[in-house]
Amino acid sequence: MKTLLTHLSIVLIILSGHAYAHDPSEHNEKKENPKCEKMKSMDHSKMTSDDPVMQAMMKKCMKEMESMHHDENQSEAGPEEEPGEDKAEDEHADHQH
Amino acid sequence: MPSLSAFLKSLILLTVFAFIGGGLFIYSGFYSIGADTPHNSITYWALETLRERSIARVAKNIDVPADLDSSDRLLAGGADYNDMCVGCHLKPGKLESDFTIGLYPAPPNLSLPEDEYAHGHGPSDSNTHAIKRQFWIIKHGIKASGMPAWGPTHSDERIWNMVAFLQRLPTLSKDQYQILTARGDVEGTHEH
Repeated sequence: MKTLLTHLSIVLIILSGHAYAHDPSEHNEKKENPKCEKMKSMDHSKMTSDDPVMQAMMKKCMKEMESMHHDENQSEAGPEEEPGEDKAEDEHADHQH
Repeated sequence: MPSLSAFLKSLILLTVFAFIGGGLFIYSGFYSIGADTPHNSITYWALETLRERSIARVAKNIDVPADLDSSDRLLAGGADYNDMCVGCHLKPGKLESDFTIGLYPAPPNLSLPEDEYAHGHGPSDSNTHAIKRQFWIIKHGIKASGMPAWGPTHSDERIWNMVAFLQRLPTLSKDQYQILTARGDVEGTHEH
């Protein structure tokens, strides 16, 4: 009887290890990406920079926004910036994830 | 005029018969337990009142964090809401799911303002009480309602993040909801 209880205790201790909280990383396999491009079509007149929702979206999409500005600056610079093109391309190459 | 002892005897007899009658009714199996058959109004009132009185009593001493309106809490809570709650409590643009149709009582649509999902709990509710109530329900769940207790597997901080997200959920558009709740990183999609 004592042996049986010992074995049962060991099994229960092992099983209890599986009762931990699910970690957010467990969702990474099915993770959805934020559609940051939708921010362009939102009604910005109703948003203020101190709105937590706006701040949260900016945090989530910061990299996308930086990339958009980066691309815009490049297109605005146009052919006059050709000498720096190699540098820009290098940065672009570094910006692969 | 009946004496006091006769009155007490009658009262005891009535109580005994009520217990026996109640027990026989329970054992008879005549009460429909199927989720597709609503409770009668008395049972519904009794259960709802029991639920709300119980929650009001235990939730009143909960301390609400001062930074509940922070953007970091919205992002953390939004992702968890989308993974754990959306099937029953829905999201902007989604009005029903298999769970909302099949569960009884139907879970409230938390993407709507509280006065629209008809799951109110009294006209005297302050916003602070509603916040404490949400925290307690997420942490402890509600018996026989389909609402699980997330407390055993989730920290209080994580639950507060979900509560923070719930405060803003009714104001979100579909696009805002998608951005706030997506677990993926923009970085991961940004391939050239």
